[in-house]
Amino acid sequence: MLSQRQLALILVAPGLLLVAALFLYPLGFSLISAFTKPDGSLTLDWFAKAYELYSTDIVFTVVIVLASCGLTALAAIVIAGTLTLGENPWIVGTLKALYRWPLFIPFIVAAQCMRTFLAKNGLMNNTFVSLGLMEPLSAVSYLDWRGIIATFVWKQTPFVALLLAGALASIDRATLEAGRNLGASRVRVLVELALPQVMPTLLVALVLSFVTMLSVLSVPMMVAGSQPTMLTVDMAFRINSYGDYATANALGVITYLISAGAAILYLKRGLSKEAAP
Amino acid sequence: MRILTIACSLAALMAASPLSAQTLNVATAGDQNMVDYVKDYLGPMFEKSHPGVKVVSVGTGAGDSGSQKIYEKLDAQKSSATTDFDVVVIHQKAAGTMVKEGLLAKYTDKVDTAKLVSSESAKNALGADVSGFVIPMFQSQTALAYNADLLKSPPNSFAELRDWAKKNPKQFGYNGIKGGMSGVAFVAGWVYAFGGDADRLIKGPYDPAVKASWDGALADLKEFNKSVVITPGNAGTLDMLNRGEIAIGPVWVDMFYSWQADGKLPPNMKLKLASPGMPGQPMYYAVPEKTANRKLAEEFIALATSPQVQADGIVKKFNWYPGIDAKNLEGKLDQAAWNKLFTDITPSDLAKNAKSFPIAPYFNDILEGYEKKVSN
Repeated sequence: MLSQRQLALILVAPGLLLVAALFLYPLGFSLISAFTKPDGSLTLDWFAKAYELYSTDIVFTVVIVLASCGLTALAAIVIAGTLTLGENPWIVGTLKALYRWPLFIPFIVAAQCMRTFLAKNGLMNNTFVSLGLMEPLSAVSYLDWRGIIATFVWKQTPFVALLLAGALASIDRATLEAGRNLGASRVRVLVELALPQVMPTLLVALVLSFVTMLSVLSVPMMVAGSQPTMLTVDMAFRINSYGDYATANALGVITYLISAGAAILYLKRGLSKEAAP
Repeated sequence: MRILTIACSLAALMAASPLSAQTLNVATAGDQNMVDYVKDYLGPMFEKSHPGVKVVSVGTGAGDSGSQKIYEKLDAQKSSATTDFDVVVIHQKAAGTMVKEGLLAKYTDKVDTAKLVSSESAKNALGADVSGFVIPMFQSQTALAYNADLLKSPPNSFAELRDWAKKNPKQFGYNGIKGGMSGVAFVAGWVYAFGGDADRLIKGPYDPAVKASWDGALADLKEFNKSVVITPGNAGTLDMLNRGEIAIGPVWVDMFYSWQADGKLPPNMKLKLASPGMPGQPMYYAVPEKTANRKLAEEFIALATSPQVQADGIVKKFNWYPGIDAKNLEGKLDQAAWNKLFTDITPSDLAKNAKSFPIAPYFNDILEGYEKKVSN
């Protein structure tokens, strides 16, 4: 007769095996290949090469992802705040119906849409020109770092807003009402009373967005030119053009390290009781 | 239960199909148009002349990375009895590696049309000897596409282009080296123009010390990049030309004509092959050493490189230059189709300025030099 403990182990085994085979094994493999020469001896050559060729791109990646996270947070707070504290039913209803849409659109489709939307003679500039808001000659293309950030923010805002709106809806209305009754404006109620209570959720949502954006290949590839570009593109290029897995893996390890910073935040929040994403 | 039965029979079918030996698997590196070419045009034609044979077309992606995938698959199947692919269509860089590692079969003496091939690239792939292992499917060429309304007299040389771009900021666009081969070709052309001995880079022999002599050219290119637009990919350059956002940029000739034929580029676009020239490259038909259908594969390639198919499929359908010697196409092609290929870029331009890519080690040095000194 199997004990409760053994039974539990058997139930967990398939999942564990899957994680081990599909995640831990490749992870270990790429870690080893990033630190060893073909003959098996330890080396940091691949990191030196990654730094020599891609130091600008490493900085670029971190800046882009951080900036996108910041703007995403701002947009999500505005949306979630309006949904919870908004008093005009028409605005709240429309926003509610619309804001989740980008969640269902894959990154690659979003990137393709942005390519025609943000181009110099693209949909956005053409609309401004035909409305008389802009001279055709002053139109500029946003298909560079700004395009990447715009796509990321557009794509991740609904995700963060969804979690945030849920958290905002579940906090005690009485404190908010009290703030309103004492004469605080809605913005002040949101910033000083509501947000501090849902900060853990916001942080967790941003950490997840951070890791997601760090790993997207299609957007930097399609929206912007290749100089500078994000690390995912460099990894793909190392493998596709040179079959150079070692340097690609070194870049991978650098990405792990960047996301480890975010992961530590996540784990801290996940372990404390108040966060329940 | 029924689902289980269906699943089982499907599995059985899949397990049995390699045994039937009548499926010819053709793997092509290159854009979707190449996959469609085999699937919609060559495949049905071959199936008609070989009843019972089924041609399956697999695409592995555009550019050298597509060939790299084919290489990795053949390499992984090195120790098994047969490979999955029977015919492969590959780029030059991978062809050299595959021949060196014994992954390809020496087959051209069994195919009659091999005698119609005269180009140097059938023997030499970026410095690697590939004679006997490959037949060119087509020859493609990069050139500068420009908007004739915006640019009345296009630059004749890279030096003129450099000065022009300085005076007209953000009017020249190319895709760097990570976004497709037309950008790589432009960078190679730049090094040919300003780096010194182009002939040596194309013909070898390799000397690692040479790359130090490109420092000036690459520093210039970094400066040049400040006044140009980096586009997202080959298609990105054509997109921007089409929208009037740039006036000139390097493109593949075949892609240019196909876009123009589809109405995706306005008719006022023209091509120019500025001196000292830009590289072009062929794609090769090759047969893996361990194919199970060697005879069928050879017959397939014989059909694909026959003058009629080269005329109708390669030149007329895709605006590529033929893989076999052009004089064999005489009489197979109407004059208009032939002339179209040579309107902007004349045969004498081609003779003078159509270059090969540098041999593989220099090629890699140029790409890495670019990453180190220009883009980082």
